[in-house]
Amino acid sequence: MLQELESIGEEAKPEVVCALERAERELIALVADSEGEISAVAHGFEALAHDTDAILRLAGAVVSCVEDEKVLSVLPKVQGLGAAAQQFIRERLEATVGILQTVTAEAKLLDRLSLLTRSQRSIARETQTLSVLTNIEVARLGQLGVGFQYLAHELDEFSQTVAKSTKDLSNLTDEHKTSVEETKRMLATGLPRIRQEFARIESDLGSAMAAVDSSQEQLMRAPVQFRSCVEEIAGQIAGVVAAVQGHDITRQQLEHVHQALRWMAERIAAASGLEEPPEQPQIAAGLEIQVFQLRSIQETVTNWLDQIRSCMKGIQRISSSELVGIGPLVLKQEREISTQLTRIEALEQECEKDNEEVQATFTGLSSLMHLVGEHLKKSRYVRDRLQLLTFNSIVEASRLGSKADAILEISQSIKRISAGWSEMTDRSAQAMEEILALVEQAKVGMQAFAEGSKEGLMAARSETSAGLENLREAAQLAAGHAVEIEAATARLQDRLLTVGGARDHLDGCFAHTGAVQKQIEEIKRQGELKYPGAIKRCNRQKAEEQFSATYTTEIERHLLRAALYGTPIPVVEQNLAGNDVELF
Amino acid sequence: MKKLLTVDDSASIRQMVNFTLTKAGYQVFEAIDGKDGLEKASKQSFDMIITDLNMPVMDGIQMMAAVRKLPGYGFTPMLMLTTESQAEKKDAGRKAGATGWIVKPFNAEQLIAVVQKLVK
Repeated sequence: MLQELESIGEEAKPEVVCALERAERELIALVADSEGEISAVAHGFEALAHDTDAILRLAGAVVSCVEDEKVLSVLPKVQGLGAAAQQFIRERLEATVGILQTVTAEAKLLDRLSLLTRSQRSIARETQTLSVLTNIEVARLGQLGVGFQYLAHELDEFSQTVAKSTKDLSNLTDEHKTSVEETKRMLATGLPRIRQEFARIESDLGSAMAAVDSSQEQLMRAPVQFRSCVEEIAGQIAGVVAAVQGHDITRQQLEHVHQALRWMAERIAAASGLEEPPEQPQIAAGLEIQVFQLRSIQETVTNWLDQIRSCMKGIQRISSSELVGIGPLVLKQEREISTQLTRIEALEQECEKDNEEVQATFTGLSSLMHLVGEHLKKSRYVRDRLQLLTFNSIVEASRLGSKADAILEISQSIKRISAGWSEMTDRSAQAMEEILALVEQAKVGMQAFAEGSKEGLMAARSETSAGLENLREAAQLAAGHAVEIEAATARLQDRLLTVGGARDHLDGCFAHTGAVQKQIEEIKRQGELKYPGAIKRCNRQKAEEQFSATYTTEIERHLLRAALYGTPIPVVEQNLAGNDVELF
Repeated sequence: MKKLLTVDDSASIRQMVNFTLTKAGYQVFEAIDGKDGLEKASKQSFDMIITDLNMPVMDGIQMMAAVRKLPGYGFTPMLMLTTESQAEKKDAGRKAGATGWIVKPFNAEQLIAVVQKLVK
């Protein structure tokens, strides 16, 4: 019939028939175009669903790694390590301050010991002189001086013992002084560096822990995000499935409008030459119905195009979500902890080296203590012998009377030396006590320095290393997956652009629906002008039968009734969530 | 793998049904109208048929009635997937041997759930 109509020259046809045919042709073209575009959208979404599936599968593997208790327990381990390292450095700082104080005191003590040995050397020289003088006097007294020979001998022996002992002490003191000065210098210069290092490590550890804390928090969120992502994707895909079906419903509506237009064009063409086509009332009602249908179609199309748009946005959101970055995040965390571990290891090694130097200084202090102890023992012996010698020589000199005045004088000198020696012995004893106290202090300092929190740090480090191994495994897996996720995300972005293009074309196709509706409204207006009141003369029941014969959807029937009987226009609220299944 | 046949004159609907059920682990075959569906069903057996109602050449009800008569299809579940929701049409569908009725658009999850329930 259409061919027959087309065979009649356009000029021979009534204008209204031409207009109806134009509208009809536009609808046919629109349906054909939209069919191709919706197919492109459907294919595009199918591919998008595969891409999102791939991303989710990979992200799911990373998430299950992250959810592993071994990885989740890394943060507490790192926190433990941070606390242990801070305590270690703090104690090391305190110990260094303490050792520096000990070494400073030791240096002062060594100065005093030097003075003491100088005094003792001078006494040794004086005793030697007295020994010579005694020998001269013994020779001068002849037989009378025989009893004083032992005095000269004793004085000589004492002077030699004292000279040797003080020389040894002096040598060791000097030697030790050099080593103490070196340690003091090392500690004094090292202290600001340790303080600086402490502040730096404290701050670095603080930021490292904050970073680990934040990425761990992000990792903890990942499983929840993953589940909501999976749900969202499923929702978006379901939305697209419904939207594509929405197009199918629209297509059917358009085909029915097209069929109605064709029927009307045929009726008008068949009645050409008549004043009014016999079916004009039906045609008027039919035009009204088609306007209702086209308005509804436009709303429906907007509805499912919006759905497609929203699905694309949803998928776009997922492709740029934190979940996609989960692999690099695990890697970053692993690198952060590794760096801190390396730094702590280096710190421990440095401490070990410092310990050796300090240990050597304190070993020197220990031999000094031993020597001072020996020296003190000898000094005490010398003091006792000098006291006895003084007593005996005074008694013997008094017995000889004026003949032994010189010896008495020597005895008085020995008495004075003995008193001086006694005082120095007391000072040596005091030095010994001080050295003992220093050694004790040094022991405490060394203990804190060498051990202190080292064990705690080592334990924390080893635990973190174990945790790090787990994180490393997860990171390796995540790294591999991250590359794949990145590639899949790039594919997804490209695909979104393609689908976006098809959707825009679809939008353009359906924009013609508005133009067709306007054309039909114009035909209707012209008809009303030419045949006033035609619609009122329409047999509604007959019109309903005529136009609803091909209808396949409830919405079309509702719209027809709204146009014919004025019933409320149904709200275009397509169920994009999908309808239920009714089982018989 | 269970085999399903989807019959619809709309390529995009066939594509959506295929996509939804393939994802759920089924092997989905397509037919473009009732006649094509009947031919395919007579050549190989399917565990379930999902068909549209209004199609050119042969509609879904005619096809269902014909398929029911084929050997081995006496108890095969058949779902009508259509835009129609009129009671008389549903009644005709039931009489032709339909197991269930879904008004388009279908809910993907529900479709999968029903297929899983009916195809064991």
